[in-house]
Amino acid sequence: MPSVRAPRSLISGLALIALAAFALWAVSDLSQGTMRAMGPAMLPRVVAVAIGVCGLIFVGLGFLQKGEPLPAWELRGPLIVGLGMVVFALTIRSLGFAVAAPLAMLIIGRGTTEAQPRELAIFAAAMTAFCLGLFRYLLDQPIPVLIVPGTDIAF
Amino acid sequence: MWDLVANLGFGLSVALTPTNLALCFIGCLLGTLIGVLPGIGPIATIAILLPVTFGLTPVSALIMLSGIYYGAQYGGSTASILLQIPGESSAVVTALDGHQMARQGRAGIALGIAALGSFFAGTVATLVIAALGAPLTALALVFGPAEYFSLMVMGLAFAVVLARGSILKAITMILVGILLSTIGPDITTGQGRMTFGFDWLSDGLEVAILGMGLFGIAEVFRNLEHNEARQVAHGAIGRLLPGVPELKQSAKPVLRGTVIGAMLGILPGNGAVLGPYASYALEKKIADDPRRFGHGAIEGVAGPESANNAGAQTSFIPLLTLGIPPNAVMALMVGAMTIHGIVPGPQVMTKVPDLFWGLIASMWIGNLMLLVINLPLIGIWVKLLKVPYRLLFVGIVIFCCIGVYSLNRQPVDILVLTFLAVVGYALSKFDFEPAPLTLGFVLGRMMEENLRQALIISRGSLWTFVERPISAVLLALGVALLVVAILPAIRRSREEAFQE
Repeated sequence: MPSVRAPRSLISGLALIALAAFALWAVSDLSQGTMRAMGPAMLPRVVAVAIGVCGLIFVGLGFLQKGEPLPAWELRGPLIVGLGMVVFALTIRSLGFAVAAPLAMLIIGRGTTEAQPRELAIFAAAMTAFCLGLFRYLLDQPIPVLIVPGTDIAF
Repeated sequence: MWDLVANLGFGLSVALTPTNLALCFIGCLLGTLIGVLPGIGPIATIAILLPVTFGLTPVSALIMLSGIYYGAQYGGSTASILLQIPGESSAVVTALDGHQMARQGRAGIALGIAALGSFFAGTVATLVIAALGAPLTALALVFGPAEYFSLMVMGLAFAVVLARGSILKAITMILVGILLSTIGPDITTGQGRMTFGFDWLSDGLEVAILGMGLFGIAEVFRNLEHNEARQVAHGAIGRLLPGVPELKQSAKPVLRGTVIGAMLGILPGNGAVLGPYASYALEKKIADDPRRFGHGAIEGVAGPESANNAGAQTSFIPLLTLGIPPNAVMALMVGAMTIHGIVPGPQVMTKVPDLFWGLIASMWIGNLMLLVINLPLIGIWVKLLKVPYRLLFVGIVIFCCIGVYSLNRQPVDILVLTFLAVVGYALSKFDFEPAPLTLGFVLGRMMEENLRQALIISRGSLWTFVERPISAVLLALGVALLVVAILPAIRRSREEAFQE
């Protein structure tokens, strides 16, 4: 069993092969057509196979070429910011921007260890007002401002 | 010749309406505002600010977007000169001597010459675009699907060769981009491909969401990794306008930079990115005393900045005349145009001349505005650089969320954005670049369409791409480029060029 010399290549390669396999499965029930009349599955299939081949090369390189070790992950930022974005997505329609945006920003702001709660709260409030002014009123985008569930309040 | 003047005059009449002038102004300001933020290059800036243009008419929206683009470029050079944190690869060169000048208390002069050089380059590039617009559009009209397909293959070959880092990685990213572009309805049968029955996937992915996720928010994730250790250049900005000796010293580098940048920018691959490097290398080579470079040589700012701006502008040429975006920034422009219902290509010039010429004229106005308005505002940008990142990133993320939501009013799009941001973060962790992916994504759709049409015309024979002379030449160029890039000797010198 040869030893892994470039773990980054190996993992990239495996991920690419997985992506290719997934794509092949996803278009498996579509027709490929002929060269004269290409079907919907032709291009995705060819490209997926090519990606798979690239993946295999990366896996091979992972054993042959000396490479860098796996990167260090800092998960706090992506996890907390991602959570804030999900909260925004879940509340924008049901509670409106005036609730969703400050809520999301209070979460997102915690994505760094340097967060200062008071300052963040003020910033969130100011930013909400600014965005409402800009997007809702100046640019006339249809963003729900405030919805109180169970009542008729919605504007 | 008279046509050119008349067309530019017509363009000016479109661009100079109070609304468009104001939008161009706001675009420049906003672009600088976001672009000056450390680590945010023009791609991220455009992605973040795209939603601001949604409510506008197509002409106004594009004028504003191009204002944003120049503003972002300008903001990027400001950040590299003052902070030595270039927002993107083409600003790296400016950071070399520009930041040294700032440390010597000559930041104002560096910024001033960058702005003046960019303005000159922008003026020339505007004329180049106006002059080449009509002939290239005429050329594009004789192109059939086979030629288009081959041209795009060549463009992608260019993009691979010019991408930073591994060639295999660039090819892989382009392929992934093409694969992502096939999500959504099939062009001929309308069958959903890889949509898994989800409503929100039925029209495919939106390039704006892709851009905001891979560039905007993924960048935030990357920046959150390290705590703040930013340092604005010490001391005063100093005198803003360069004096006569400095102007004399810079005049020729600006001229040379403009020519180099404008020529490289026209290439259908990402040629513009090479401009600043080529200009810097040239100036260093022909300088009387090359040792001054890296220690605050004004030529090292004047030349590359002019090349950068000239290239940034002439890279509009393939987009406006052929409808083919040469790089990721232009790919986002395609997305923006599509959102506003314009299909980029040779028909733009004939069908919506006010858009074509208005946009070109506004490029020049935008450059002028940057010069007149942004230089005196430099104090504000410096203050902005002092706003703590712990607050800035919150603003950036929420801005992207609102933008994505207002695209289709689909909260699920924000989840897609989150997912793409995580993907973008992972890509950077494994040293893959998101720019070729974006380019592949936008070109993928066009390539499939043209490939299919070409094969229908040729009755299924792939030989059509080689039998048609123009197509064959384009393909041969693409193959030659790739072969050359893979050859070890050239590969080494390419790496050196990027390292310098």
